[in-house]
Amino acid sequence: MKPLLAIALVFSCVAPARSQAPTFSTRIEAVRVDALVTDHGKPVLGLTAADFEVVDNGVPQTVDLVSYDQIPLNVVLALDMSESVAGDRLDHLRTGGAALLAALKKEDQAALITFSHIVTLAARLSTDVAGVKRALDAAVGIGSTALTDGAYAGLVVGESDVGRALLIVFSDGLDTVSWLTPEMVFETAKRSDVVVYGVSVGKGKPDFLRELTSLTGGRLFEVDKTANLSAIFLEALQEFRQRYLLSYTPRGVAKDGWHRLEVRVKRRGTVKARPGYLAGS
Amino acid sequence: MDRFVRSLVVVFALVGAAVDGRASQTPPLQMIDGGARLARLEHWLKAVALHDPGAVDDWATLVGSWTSEQVGVLWIDANLLVQIMRNPSGVGFNVRPEGQSRTQAIRYTTVQLHRMRVLACVAAGVVGDVRCMQLKAATELDDDLRRVAALARAAQSAGDGDNFVLRRGALLQADIAMLVSPPAEPIRGTGGLGPQRISVQTSDGLALGMGQMATHWEVGRMLLDHVRPRAATRDDPGHDDMVRRWYRATAAWMQSTEKHDTIHLDHAREIFPADPDILFLSATQHEVYAGASIQGALRSAQMTTGWKFDVTSEKPELRLAEGFFRRAVAANPDPPETHLRYGRVLSLLERYADAARELTIALAGTADREQRYYGELFLGAAETGRRNFDAARDAYRRASELFPEAQSPHIALSELARRLGDRGGALRELQPVFAAAPDNPDGGDPWWHYFTVQARNVDDLLDELRRPFKAESQ
Repeated sequence: MKPLLAIALVFSCVAPARSQAPTFSTRIEAVRVDALVTDHGKPVLGLTAADFEVVDNGVPQTVDLVSYDQIPLNVVLALDMSESVAGDRLDHLRTGGAALLAALKKEDQAALITFSHIVTLAARLSTDVAGVKRALDAAVGIGSTALTDGAYAGLVVGESDVGRALLIVFSDGLDTVSWLTPEMVFETAKRSDVVVYGVSVGKGKPDFLRELTSLTGGRLFEVDKTANLSAIFLEALQEFRQRYLLSYTPRGVAKDGWHRLEVRVKRRGTVKARPGYLAGS
Repeated sequence: MDRFVRSLVVVFALVGAAVDGRASQTPPLQMIDGGARLARLEHWLKAVALHDPGAVDDWATLVGSWTSEQVGVLWIDANLLVQIMRNPSGVGFNVRPEGQSRTQAIRYTTVQLHRMRVLACVAAGVVGDVRCMQLKAATELDDDLRRVAALARAAQSAGDGDNFVLRRGALLQADIAMLVSPPAEPIRGTGGLGPQRISVQTSDGLALGMGQMATHWEVGRMLLDHVRPRAATRDDPGHDDMVRRWYRATAAWMQSTEKHDTIHLDHAREIFPADPDILFLSATQHEVYAGASIQGALRSAQMTTGWKFDVTSEKPELRLAEGFFRRAVAANPDPPETHLRYGRVLSLLERYADAARELTIALAGTADREQRYYGELFLGAAETGRRNFDAARDAYRRASELFPEAQSPHIALSELARRLGDRGGALRELQPVFAAAPDNPDGGDPWWHYFTVQARNVDDLLDELRRPFKAESQ
């Protein structure tokens, strides 16, 4: 398990027994928010909990914890391996993936999901970065594009272990064959702490990735060519490392439903974070 | 594997109405060499009669090599040939291509009109009639045209009137479109001669390019519009079984190969407004249009000025599909597949209770494994929409049992678990997906070919269409 298990997000407590009353357990889920603070495009570093204001459905919350660049990362690559990803594009993708994997710290974990019409977990989430790279080298483009299903699998794998989860989704096409609808994946993203960075190549309008990255507080890179994929992947990783992880236990708000979040800093700076989260079914 | 890769490319036709009134880049008909035009019509007439249905023979290859502009002119001349067959003394002719509001007046020189009348004698199988004798038609025919005349006369004698060239012509044009598949050309300006169509080729949900299509389907439809069934005194294709079979088979072929053409089925419904098979295929066409492949391509396509798509966004397409499925069920409530697809569309329109009802009917009526798989999968989605999560889970599990290698039910179960807050369950349900063999790309999941499987009987339909004509040729 990871060193900072202390920030485990789910707290269980048992309600005090009362006479004749049934006892039941309840869970108070801490909410965590990844936030990027910039000033004129440059990251603002060194902030503490006292510098942040978090408002959940209009109710100010007390930020319990702020960490920065201390918690190991779970980096999940969800890569389009449909038929159009071949030749130079596949080489660039392998090179970009290798550059990103090389930039991980030894306690970071990585996983590789590939998707054509088939969604495959090519490498499980682990610190065995070399194994992930081998899986990436072995991947080939075939078939059509289950982008939506692939992104969903990335979210689930990303949140399967403690740590901060970064999901990088790469696609050069639009979805053609997924079972899940974009709305279903958006719902999952709203319930998840995973931050999604998207890389879309080509002339298609990447509406799905744009919405998914926006909902998770991430970022979408739209590029014409894949030659610079290494730089893009590294920029995504670097930016993610510069984000603060805020954690708070919601108070004064209804448990279920959509929670609109506002994250501000008390000093000069612009905050980028997910716009809210969904609780309950 | 071939089946899956083939389905990656989608071509669909578009309405080519001259919406901007821009001047045509095509020369007026009168400017086109009349001798060459009539020579092509003559070649076409021979091809119509001598082509072996279902074969890529020299005749199909010859006509299939003509440019889209030449086929546009053929549409006009073949149209006029039929008009002269029916009204041999006519001198003024008008044509109005499908999808265009303007009528085009066509005039021939005296020499051209004479030749057209001779060819009409051949096509109608009446070279020996008084009017054709007065034209001395028989003296102006080469061996091939004499064979054509004899075949047309035999059809007359067999009681099919002058339908020979209409039926055989539609078969030829369909075979060219399906088997020769002439490549698309660069797009000319709007307002050309005859009907105009462009196609959008897509891959991976993106529009790759557009091109001008030769209008072989339009020639076929035009010919069949003039069919007169036995004992009919006017054009009445709606009461002709061969015409019905032609539309059923060709529309199914378009869906099986994802070469969609809205006008084809629009026209079929004008002729057969209550035919359950044509209503079913109309519904599935719009169900496909609402899918991710077409919708993605639509968003990425840059339409050429003067043309417009005949595909709309997802919800309107689903509503169109719903209307046609409703009519198809009313016309014939027996086929489970109609209920199945109707249920799916209702679910996508968030009419979950109605969807569950239709899907339950479908499941009760079929023992086909693949159809049951779809039914359970779609029922799971409908029950999820109704928040009957246990019922949804059960349906997805049954789908999974029908096709253990299919990934969609497991992804659905995972999403359901995650929706209910069970992160561990969501990951657990994905394990069979992750364990699936990636080297079996065409194996596992029937969902991958859901949008073409409705036309799985296309070979039988084409065989049924061609069989009487092949026997006739022999």
